[in-house]
Amino acid sequence: MTDAPMVGSRRRATGASLRLAILLFVADPQWLVPATIAPIIFGLVSFELFRGEGPYFLTYAILGAGMMSMWGQTLYGSGWATGQDRNLGTLEPTIQAPTPYLYVVLGRIIWNVVSGLIGGVIVYVVVVIAAGGPPALPNPLLFVVMFVFVMVTLASVGIVFAAAFVYSRFSGFIQNIGEFAFYIGTGCMFPVILLPFWTNPIALFFPPTWALDALRYISIPGYVGFGWGWQWDVVGAVVVTAVYAAIAGTLFHRVERHVLEVGNLADY
Amino acid sequence: MATPLRSAYQPKFWKAFWTNAVLAPRTSLGFMRLDFVLGSIFVIPLTQMVFFVFVVHLGGGGQSEIEFTAVGNAVATITYTSVFAVCQTTDTEKQQGTMEHLLVSPANRFALYVGRGIIPILVSLATVAVGLVYADVFFQVPIPASTIPALAVSVTLTALAMVGFGLLLGGVALYLRTSIILGNIFLFIGLLLSGVNFPVSNLPVPLQWAGDALPLTWGLSAIRAAIAGDSLSSLGVLWGAVALSGIISIGLAMGLWGVFERRALATGAIARF
Repeated sequence: MTDAPMVGSRRRATGASLRLAILLFVADPQWLVPATIAPIIFGLVSFELFRGEGPYFLTYAILGAGMMSMWGQTLYGSGWATGQDRNLGTLEPTIQAPTPYLYVVLGRIIWNVVSGLIGGVIVYVVVVIAAGGPPALPNPLLFVVMFVFVMVTLASVGIVFAAAFVYSRFSGFIQNIGEFAFYIGTGCMFPVILLPFWTNPIALFFPPTWALDALRYISIPGYVGFGWGWQWDVVGAVVVTAVYAAIAGTLFHRVERHVLEVGNLADY
Repeated sequence: MATPLRSAYQPKFWKAFWTNAVLAPRTSLGFMRLDFVLGSIFVIPLTQMVFFVFVVHLGGGGQSEIEFTAVGNAVATITYTSVFAVCQTTDTEKQQGTMEHLLVSPANRFALYVGRGIIPILVSLATVAVGLVYADVFFQVPIPASTIPALAVSVTLTALAMVGFGLLLGGVALYLRTSIILGNIFLFIGLLLSGVNFPVSNLPVPLQWAGDALPLTWGLSAIRAAIAGDSLSSLGVLWGAVALSGIISIGLAMGLWGVFERRALATGAIARF
């Protein structure tokens, strides 16, 4: 009896949050520009560095740059997902609302990932124009499915970051200074197995590492990634994403309890 | 009678210069919190170099390409503090509501604006120095001790020119709603146009011309020439080019600020978002 209205409330909260995020974006879409400049340039630089190495290296450059665009949006958007409530003074009222805060943030994170995808499309168009043609894709349908899956894994990271950033004054530091580390650690532009072996287990803590490896397996013939193949990559990504979702739920629950007990979360 | 009164209220040049140099990191410059500064010096050069070196490695590049990329990115990270942080001064002044006060201040404009660049110049020097140490230690870029004096001159001139370029962007941003987009463009555009990851000659000719307009292109050439142990005569030409690009940037920045100041005083609109 009590669950049904709550489920509706949560869905409405996420929908409203998503709608507001879209409206804010439409009102001032220039903010997509900073998020796409770096990936476009990195994509073009990589394309130049890969020139002459074979047709599938264009896929590396495009996938890598597109992934960086989505990563960038997720990383910056997650920090801002709770930061905006702090700045605007709406953190306490939003947390006091009967709907769990997680569902409000979820709407913002979904839009971050989608806007990252828009950035990814822009990157794709620019690099394809520079290359003179689109990359060859052996299995376009599976590619699309896997690409959506990569977005889901990124959203799971985004929501954990959003929760963790509530407790931190260093979200700006992590976003700006740690940006390249995330790109390297999740193998955005090159397979993680190229990195020293000790870094690989750390990289596997991030769901996009698994999902991106699987995506490359199905889009680049002869790709050499993790030895267990793309099917196990998908299984690994699902498991780690589920763990992230559980962590996000726990963290947000704790955030809400903490703010009600201490009442100082909105302070910088 | 007007002159003594004016001089009585006119802050001394060096006082204005020094006050701005010391206060700007805490007031108007972006990304000058201690954690950001340390991250810019020690973390960003390493991660950016690792990223592009592995891209080169994947693309089948050998040791010479890796060295080229490592040095290029060690120097290119200078843009975080010299361009991105400096060009945000305008935004900060507007946000804090201090732009109007600044525009009516009698302080010498050169001291006011260039003084702000002192700390970024020092941070930029540290960033490139640490980046070149990383290049030597992690990517086996040979930097003979005999080249260090010429390298120091090249790095110092590059830092000065790049901060001048940051001030120029800050001047342009005075007329924009925000400097973030401008800052982001010039934060990374050098990676493509300045010969950071591959020789400029690989680019189409119009893009080579665009690259020539950036101080980073000349600074990087001077630094590469210094590491290669080029003669003083060839280095002198490059140093002259770097210095010239810095002087032009600062000159244009001062000119732009002057134009926009007059416009602000006439219309009262520039200081607003």
